[in-house]
Amino acid sequence: MSNRIKNQLIAKLITRFPSLAQRFITAYEPWESGEPTPWTFVTKPLSECRVALVTTSGIHHKDQQPFDMQDSEGDPSFREIAGATIGRDYQITHDYYDHSDAEKDLNIIFPIDRLRDLQTEGVIGDLAERHYSLMGHIDGHHIATLINRSARQIVEKLRQDAVDVVLLTPA
Amino acid sequence: MGLVQREIEKAGIPTIGVSIVREYTEKVQPPRTVYVKWPFGHPLGEPGNIKQQRAVVLEAFRVLYAATTPGEIVDLPFRWRRHDYDSYEEPGAFVPSR
Repeated sequence: MSNRIKNQLIAKLITRFPSLAQRFITAYEPWESGEPTPWTFVTKPLSECRVALVTTSGIHHKDQQPFDMQDSEGDPSFREIAGATIGRDYQITHDYYDHSDAEKDLNIIFPIDRLRDLQTEGVIGDLAERHYSLMGHIDGHHIATLINRSARQIVEKLRQDAVDVVLLTPA
Repeated sequence: MGLVQREIEKAGIPTIGVSIVREYTEKVQPPRTVYVKWPFGHPLGEPGNIKQQRAVVLEAFRVLYAATTPGEIVDLPFRWRRHDYDSYEEPGAFVPSR
């Protein structure tokens, strides 16, 4: 538990004093696949596209199992987010950033209301009902699980919902 | 985040990501990214600042349609807490260029 408190304290400090964050950014080496960057052209106007959100900010519904913050290599699982209810029923389990502002307004990490505004205005064609949340900072052997299990399952659900475009937000 | 983005794009669904750590994005190479030099936990900005959040979302969609090079990162000109979003000009139509 003391390790979690330490992580939460560091997260608060580096959010408040961004110059401190540089040390942590430099210390962390993200995994590189070495494969060419994938590319899919957008073929439809946005006004005809169904849009879904994917976030690595660690949000979830209150009745869902929180992300595992004990494992130093992270939690590679994901949570399915119901766009209709998440605004009044969300919790953030993530020790590696200060989410006190996101607790005041979910939209700074998961812009569901902004997308709904755009849908109402006809800028985007449709908003998917299901969205997806992960926790980011995945390392070591969990990377394979993230790519081979979680990402594949998310893709399957996006296809089922005929999603045309995905907007991804970190934290 | 970029790893998941790459997998979704690879499966044939176009993606656009928001980044707050340019160094990671440069290494992971997701297909398209808008970058904001803002504190952790604030990729869309500040609580209650609807104009700011909207501007980031619209810029993301603009780059989704405008980007032509895999791995492209567009630095957004929005300064943390010092930007006037009233003068932000919203992009026109979001349509494929080809």
